[in-house]
Amino acid sequence: MTTLTEASSMTTMSESSSLRLGGPVPHPAPARGSSPVCTSHPLLRSASGSDTLERLDLSTRDATDAPWLTIVWNDPVNLQTYVSYVFRTYFGFTASRAERLMLQVHNDGRAVVASGGREQMERHVEAMHDYGLWATLTRDAP
Amino acid sequence: MTRFTRRGAGVVVRLYASEQELLLRLAAQLIELLGQRGRPSPADVLFAQAGIGGRSAPPLDPALARLLPDAYRHDREAASEHRHLTELALVQRKVENARRFQNSLRDDAAEAILDADGIQSWLRTLTDMRLALAARLQIEVDGDAGTGDDAMLEIYDWLGYLQGSLLEVLP
Repeated sequence: MTTLTEASSMTTMSESSSLRLGGPVPHPAPARGSSPVCTSHPLLRSASGSDTLERLDLSTRDATDAPWLTIVWNDPVNLQTYVSYVFRTYFGFTASRAERLMLQVHNDGRAVVASGGREQMERHVEAMHDYGLWATLTRDAP
Repeated sequence: MTRFTRRGAGVVVRLYASEQELLLRLAAQLIELLGQRGRPSPADVLFAQAGIGGRSAPPLDPALARLLPDAYRHDREAASEHRHLTELALVQRKVENARRFQNSLRDDAAEAILDADGIQSWLRTLTDMRLALAARLQIEVDGDAGTGDDAMLEIYDWLGYLQGSLLEVLP
């Protein structure tokens, strides 16, 4: 697909022109010296599927008491294969369930991927944001 | 050329030097972009060490807004509170990913070897780059072709191709 020449021309162009990924921002924060301390975060807590699965099972049981939902929304950027991958590896879903939910996101614009307590759904939403998926939590059926 | 090959639990990446440079530059720009949300106010420095104490309002820059979305869609108060408590940590994790991605590319060796953490940093950082570029290209809903710089659009597509190729070799 991409050849060396294409890649190098992209490189040149990106240097010269408007690849403003880190472009100007309307309201930059004042730089006051102290940059944030990089604490070490369990970046890959999401990769350990078994822990997640266990929590999911618990959440299903008390779902009537705490009907918070994690919703993943469709976006035009993320690859379908990536969304399926995230559903499989983070939630521990089977390939077919992950595929079905991914297609639901794609076709219906959203899918409920988990339900349970509020804090737990917040953790799921944060994990989805780590992956770059657009997720929210809510108490009402979407 | 085959860019990704499985080797045990890891993945071997082969890139041309120009591609490597491009990815390093994009990662640096991503870190710079995220850095604009990464500074706590001085009063919050102690909280900041725990990743708490970020802003309450969503970013005005659409690229940052897409990287750091609201956790609540129809409850502004809950969204603000959640953002204040968690955004800084999310920014830090994204920056950490991008740094790990950079480090995997720093060697001049013809190939980089990614372990499990490395693979995650690649998947996530390529995604974050594409999200930011999509915002610049005004790709907002399915079917948007993207407006603006053709070179940027080419890079956006190429990053998608790279990520897709990486996913193909993963179990």
